[in-house]
Amino acid sequence: MTSFVLFESASGYALFEQTDTDEIGQLADKLQNSVVDLERFSQIVRLKAFMPFSSAENALENIRAVNEGTVHETLKNFLEMNLPKAKPGKKSKCMLGVIDSKLASTIAEELSIPCESNDTVLEISRGIRLHFSRFVSELKDGDLEKTQLGLAHNYSRSKVKFNVNKVDNMII
Amino acid sequence: MKGGAKVVVEPHRHEGVFIARGKEDALVTKNITTGESVYGEKRVSVDQEDGTKVEYRVWNPFRSKIAAAILGGVDNIWIKPGSKVLYLGAASGTTVSHVADIVGPTGIVYAVEFSHRSGRDLVNMAKKRTNVIPIIEDARRPEKYRMLVGMVDTVFADVAQPDQARIVAHNGKYFLKNGGHFVISIKANCIDSTVEAPVVFAREVKKLQQEGFKPAEQITLEPYERDHAVVVGAYRAVKDKKEK
Repeated sequence: MTSFVLFESASGYALFEQTDTDEIGQLADKLQNSVVDLERFSQIVRLKAFMPFSSAENALENIRAVNEGTVHETLKNFLEMNLPKAKPGKKSKCMLGVIDSKLASTIAEELSIPCESNDTVLEISRGIRLHFSRFVSELKDGDLEKTQLGLAHNYSRSKVKFNVNKVDNMII
Repeated sequence: MKGGAKVVVEPHRHEGVFIARGKEDALVTKNITTGESVYGEKRVSVDQEDGTKVEYRVWNPFRSKIAAAILGGVDNIWIKPGSKVLYLGAASGTTVSHVADIVGPTGIVYAVEFSHRSGRDLVNMAKKRTNVIPIIEDARRPEKYRMLVGMVDTVFADVAQPDQARIVAHNGKYFLKNGGHFVISIKANCIDSTVEAPVVFAREVKKLQQEGFKPAEQITLEPYERDHAVVVGAYRAVKDKKEK
């Protein structure tokens, strides 16, 4: 059984392969500490694939889909292309870690990929988030921040605009 | 405030924060968008020895919890040039703009605000300040903005919600580096108005401790705010052998 982790960034989707699954205990000290050190962390996971978003509109569509817990066409293609295929009639041999449980269940349902969403996935995502631009060679220094800035502006502006009646959504 | 040669600006003990010595002393930050105020605050322009001018913006402790904490003598705000900060409860972005001044062009402020009304001002402010990443989302749902935020050095929270300890903990799990720090402003009557403020503060501190936060310092914001406390501490403190 191979384990993968899906990482959604402002630049695009990334798939990481866990190479050392047995060693990872939930919230184990070892994992927490090795996450900090890139050298040790890259012994636990390695980048399997990265797909940048094709445009700002594409990125915005995808962040919306991810937030609603739906599988966007881009994500579907990405996963189907990069995850090992199951033989017909047999159960898939891989397990995909997704940070958000809602998205995890939609992926499992629509693409028949077994998914999990737990603290281990969250811990690994912390490590990926910390070292992301060093894993993905396409991203130069500051590129990720630029895409974050652009996408955040698009996303936030569309949210503010969406609220047509200009009423505050008060938190109760 | 009149600028020119009369006003002398000195660095504050906190890196990136300054004090303008004039007729009255004022806390200031170095304006990264020279020539513009964000919310009508006063600006001070200071002549440098080489003939250039540097502009500072006055930071009002009655309008900002961080400024109040600095004047209250907090030991460390964990926000300095180059810091990456997750700011929860950004409101219209008045304090965020000063934090953006402090972290400067090499730092980043991820500013989260849920209210659309103040969110509009926040987005507008961020247009001119490219080190501010505005996020109009619910701070209770960090998974909703996980694509927009990287790992940060410091989480600052001014959310004034009864479950704020949980909100901070949840965001910490997603985005706060091991050995990173938190600065949280607690408004006692937002959490429980039936007991004394110090009791509320103690309870909140306990909740934070259960989530891997290690409070190191607590100060009240008197005389700038009533029944407010700021708690500062470390997250998942790394036991570093080299330091010893």
